[in-house]
Amino acid sequence: MNEQMLDIVDIRKSYRVGPTEVNVLKGINLAVARGELLAIIGPSGSGKSTLMHMLGLLEKPDSGLYSIDGTRVTYDDDRALSALRNRKIGFVFQQYHLLPKLTALENVGVPLTYRGMAADEIRKRSRTYLAKVDIEYRADHRPNEMSGGQQQRVAIARALVGQPAIILADEPTGALDQKTGEEIMELFRRLNREDGITIVIITHNPALACQCGRAVKIIDGMIYSA
Amino acid sequence: MNLLRVNFNEAFRSLWGARQRSLLALIGIVIGIGSVIAMVSIGTIVQQESIRQFKDMGVDIVTIRRGFSESTAAPFRADVIARLPQEKPLISEVAPYVNSGGDYYRGRAKITLEQMGVTAAFFSINKLAAAQGRLLSDLDANRYCCVVGAELAGFLRQNGMPEPVGGRITVNDRAYTIVGVLAPSAEGGLRPFGINRGMLAPLATAQRSFPNADINTILARVAPNTPIERLKAEVSDYFAKKSRGAQVEITSAEELIERMKKQMQMFSLLLGAIGSIALIVGGIGVMNVMLISVTERRSEIGLRRALGAQRGDIQSQFLIESVILCLVGGLIGIVLGTGVAFGFARLSQWQFVMSYTSVMLGFGVSTLVGVFCGFYPARTASRLDPIKALRS
Repeated sequence: MNEQMLDIVDIRKSYRVGPTEVNVLKGINLAVARGELLAIIGPSGSGKSTLMHMLGLLEKPDSGLYSIDGTRVTYDDDRALSALRNRKIGFVFQQYHLLPKLTALENVGVPLTYRGMAADEIRKRSRTYLAKVDIEYRADHRPNEMSGGQQQRVAIARALVGQPAIILADEPTGALDQKTGEEIMELFRRLNREDGITIVIITHNPALACQCGRAVKIIDGMIYSA
Repeated sequence: MNLLRVNFNEAFRSLWGARQRSLLALIGIVIGIGSVIAMVSIGTIVQQESIRQFKDMGVDIVTIRRGFSESTAAPFRADVIARLPQEKPLISEVAPYVNSGGDYYRGRAKITLEQMGVTAAFFSINKLAAAQGRLLSDLDANRYCCVVGAELAGFLRQNGMPEPVGGRITVNDRAYTIVGVLAPSAEGGLRPFGINRGMLAPLATAQRSFPNADINTILARVAPNTPIERLKAEVSDYFAKKSRGAQVEITSAEELIERMKKQMQMFSLLLGAIGSIALIVGGIGVMNVMLISVTERRSEIGLRRALGAQRGDIQSQFLIESVILCLVGGLIGIVLGTGVAFGFARLSQWQFVMSYTSVMLGFGVSTLVGVFCGFYPARTASRLDPIKALRS
């Protein structure tokens, strides 16, 4: 058992915008322990989206080391990287990103299809996780038949279904009203508390950060403890 | 395996979701595959039909033609020809004939008739039967009598000779008594041209009275299983000796069929190529639809990548979609193309043959078009940057 779930060392990333080079991440060091509920707060333009994509293996850093659940990440093989993303990361997005033509149950099962799992097994597991986030009664509904909060619950079930090492939530309450947002935050806290799931929430909202075990700030591409 | 099935379901759902667009792409493929199938099938039908005309007459027939390269060569002599079956047992029957065309008038009505001088064997070799009256026999030699082809008989009936048998027609100032009317016969094969419009008189009569009475062609029946090379050698030898070095050209039905098959294959290929143009246009339609589909589903692609789909998974998802589109289109196209070929055969009263090669071709080609035209859009989809795709 590795105690460090995520470990990033001196990660740097810059983009070329026209003639100028923009340094977005300027040497980030961050460790997330197993079972931690961490908030990363930062204003827009601080580099938090880039950091989130980096953590989610969607973006390759220019330099630095990244280990997830004891595995060093290498970026040159798409198959290996996709498999790692599939098994270690559970994404929750601000806009939910459910597939509109699939039911809630089918949406939850999508990550498992990429593991070549049998259809029956996928349905069984998907149902379990829908139940875990209290939305099983919507299993056969399509996203456009559900409220924002309900959709976000389905999205969380989809993030959990693959039993990943970590849940990465990008502004998970950003599109919800305050009450629903609080319910979603409560759900995250419960999952963290009861199931020991490691969760990283990225937000610009300092109020959310107060509800997490630990918070760090990202300002202008650098991490500061809050 | 499950992923494949999921991809299949997904492909159907996506095609159904954009059904108007899918339908348009489908029509393109249907027309493309349909025209290839129709063209190739019609080619096959034409080929079968012309071969059937040959076989109708029997494949044991050859024509012996006077070589024109030898300017000094005399025309065939009737008595030399008549002895050929006795001297060369490979030949079982000979039918020399003369023919010349000309206009024939009854009142103001005109028909281009074919004057032919024939022997009794001509009727058996050409499988000609009498519809009315009788055929000519060798006892008719030198008599001014004739049998007329079906079309000529029809012309006579319409122009003042309701009952041709027993009537007389005058050609080149000679009057011939009509003794029989032939049943209609199909053109083609080794059968001389124009029998239906023919006025067939005994050969001996024809040689005395026709303007062009040289025997240039002989039809002959060959004994079964005769090697054509041996036949050619023996017959050439016979005429070289008997007719002072006369050269002959021998053509067998089998050779002609072979030659024709080759020509027909070229013809089918040409038709197929014409159909392929429609197919290419249809394929471009599919590619277009797939590209639109990729653009519309950028965020889905990004999401799937984030959830762990490999590039290959995304690529196969879109490839399957395009192959399904093309296969469904191909299936309809095959049915439609075969239907067109069937209609064509019906209209021209030819025998319809189902061309299985063209059906296989249709399936193969539509799969190929699906893969080919889906490949670029699918590749584009798989190469999308997940982050950019997610944001759109």
